[in-house]
Amino acid sequence: MFLWDLVFVNPITNALVILNNIVLGNFGVAIILFTIMMRLVTMPLTLRQIRSSRALSTLQPKIQELQKKYKDPKRRQEETMKFYREAGVNPLGCLLPMLVQFPIWIALYHALRITVGGTPESVIGLSQRLYPWGYIEQAVPLENNFLWMNLGQPDTSLILAFIVFASTYVQQRLATPATTDPRTQSTNQMMLWMMPLMFAFFTLQVPSGLGVYWAMSNIAGVAMYYFTHGPEPINWRTVLLPPSAAPAGRQANRRGEPSPREKASAEQAAEEAAEAAEAALSPGSKRKKRLRHGRSRGKRKDRR
Amino acid sequence: MLATLFLATACVGIARPEGWAGPTLADDRLVASIARGELAAVDIKDSSGQVLWRFPPKDRKHPDGSKIEPEAIYSTPVVADGIVYFGAYDGWVYALDLDSGGIRWQVETGGPIIGSAAVQDGVVYVGSDDGQLYAFDAETGDLQWRFKSGDSIWATPLVADDVVYVASMDKKVYALDAASGEEKWHFKAKSGLPSTPVLANGTLLVGGMDSRMHALDAASGEEKWQFKADDWFWTRPLVLEDTVYAGCLNGKVYALDVNDGRPKWEQPFDTGEPVRAAPVLLDDVLLIVNRKGELYGLDPQDGQPVWPLPIDLAKTILSDPLAQGDMAFISAQGGDLFTVNKDGRVALLTLTE
Repeated sequence: MFLWDLVFVNPITNALVILNNIVLGNFGVAIILFTIMMRLVTMPLTLRQIRSSRALSTLQPKIQELQKKYKDPKRRQEETMKFYREAGVNPLGCLLPMLVQFPIWIALYHALRITVGGTPESVIGLSQRLYPWGYIEQAVPLENNFLWMNLGQPDTSLILAFIVFASTYVQQRLATPATTDPRTQSTNQMMLWMMPLMFAFFTLQVPSGLGVYWAMSNIAGVAMYYFTHGPEPINWRTVLLPPSAAPAGRQANRRGEPSPREKASAEQAAEEAAEAAEAALSPGSKRKKRLRHGRSRGKRKDRR
Repeated sequence: MLATLFLATACVGIARPEGWAGPTLADDRLVASIARGELAAVDIKDSSGQVLWRFPPKDRKHPDGSKIEPEAIYSTPVVADGIVYFGAYDGWVYALDLDSGGIRWQVETGGPIIGSAAVQDGVVYVGSDDGQLYAFDAETGDLQWRFKSGDSIWATPLVADDVVYVASMDKKVYALDAASGEEKWHFKAKSGLPSTPVLANGTLLVGGMDSRMHALDAASGEEKWQFKADDWFWTRPLVLEDTVYAGCLNGKVYALDVNDGRPKWEQPFDTGEPVRAAPVLLDDVLLIVNRKGELYGLDPQDGQPVWPLPIDLAKTILSDPLAQGDMAFISAQGGDLFTVNKDGRVALLTLTE
């Protein structure tokens, strides 16, 4: 526990207090700034996670083929893993970046509890976490009030819970990769509603400082998506409507009509993954792979 | 991911105020917090421990009809002329009859009350988390005046020579006219001031979150000296002759010269855990208790332990002990009441209804 505090909780607590000083004592703004900074720092991991998750979803049809082909579970697993290897995709690739971010999240939760706890006991607890630097000492006591909220108490007005719900929903819609597999579709559909509901429920239970963090983190996630994919792929009408309200042909594509750049990139990724899968399933794969790579490059040239 | 989120939020929860009201003695009756958000008068004659009354009463309500729920009590009760005065975390100031526990009056402030009340010349002075210092008529509870500081007031005000001294989280110590509430002077520190000031020979001593003990001229507010530690001073200091004793949240207890702030012991006494409870003198033993509930008896001259080992009360102690004659009373968080004598013999006060 000592090491956990030393490495994660205390640095985050002090960083929050320093940010609070920088923004002239508005702790809500300090949380927002901190969230944006954390999002930027973990951006490479997030992008990797998105890419891995997309690649996995593209390979789903071939995985299903394998599952149908091999009835023995051991053999099926071996073949599936082999297929992943051949296709150059790590099935844990989308989990690992998330796992790396977990300690930061949990430490941040602890840090927020310490900093905005609000009770006299928690203020004494805060003194044990702060570095004995004059600049930090000047920041205490921290201002707990932000907009209509007491950051140390749950927001009972439901406004924050709604913001967290809506922002989680939008971010989920954007981040969930398109899939044609009905099972995955159904899981995605469930998660699309479950996650926002769960986060909204948590927001009503925990200090509103955490809710501010979640909402801001989602908003930053949407912004990140916008900047990495360009403005065209986001059709807000289809994003904001529930999937059932979207036209049947576009249900899998919750982002709406893709831009030419996005379309080309998606086509290419799908094609490469499918070809890699085919190669993995058939003998003489190395030669075919080389040929296909050459073809892909040619196609890329054509597109340009 | 959801499972982890569950675990994380379970760990987070909401910080709950527990309270750290110290005990007060009045005519063989100990008025103390005996559970979270509950106050009681306990008969301590012949160590009977009989509970005479409890607060809040089940059948009484606030004037607006809402239920009385103090939530937590940080304010050490003060007894004057048969009335018990204290503030609670629910923001109300209560005046109770010492004999019956009945409510004489109750007044709401704009925020939780952390500091204790000070009663002088028929006026009750109490600070609130809403940043204001209130002066109420002790008999009726009528508001006489109020003074607005820039942030929460968690410290107990000090009244001396018609002046009210109060420290605020806005980093300032104020000297106010006791009759009108008009500001005479203020001193600004570098950080919030949660500690209760103490006056000794014209010197006002107050500790703060800037990790400093400040000694101010009580007449002008000018700083005479300051002593810097490496953590906050939240205790009410104790002054004996020309020495100031102060516990610090770094776990150490310092003995400083009241004239120039120079350390008097070779080195501060280290208890290893934050010290919020004020040091008290029990006969000729300096009694120190840290947050973990470890009780130390020190020689005030050199800071050496008088008892061979600390006494472990195994309770969180943040309240100020009360020394009376050859006995000290200590109130632990959760409601346990301990007695200790100068030889370090500790007993748990057993309460009977």
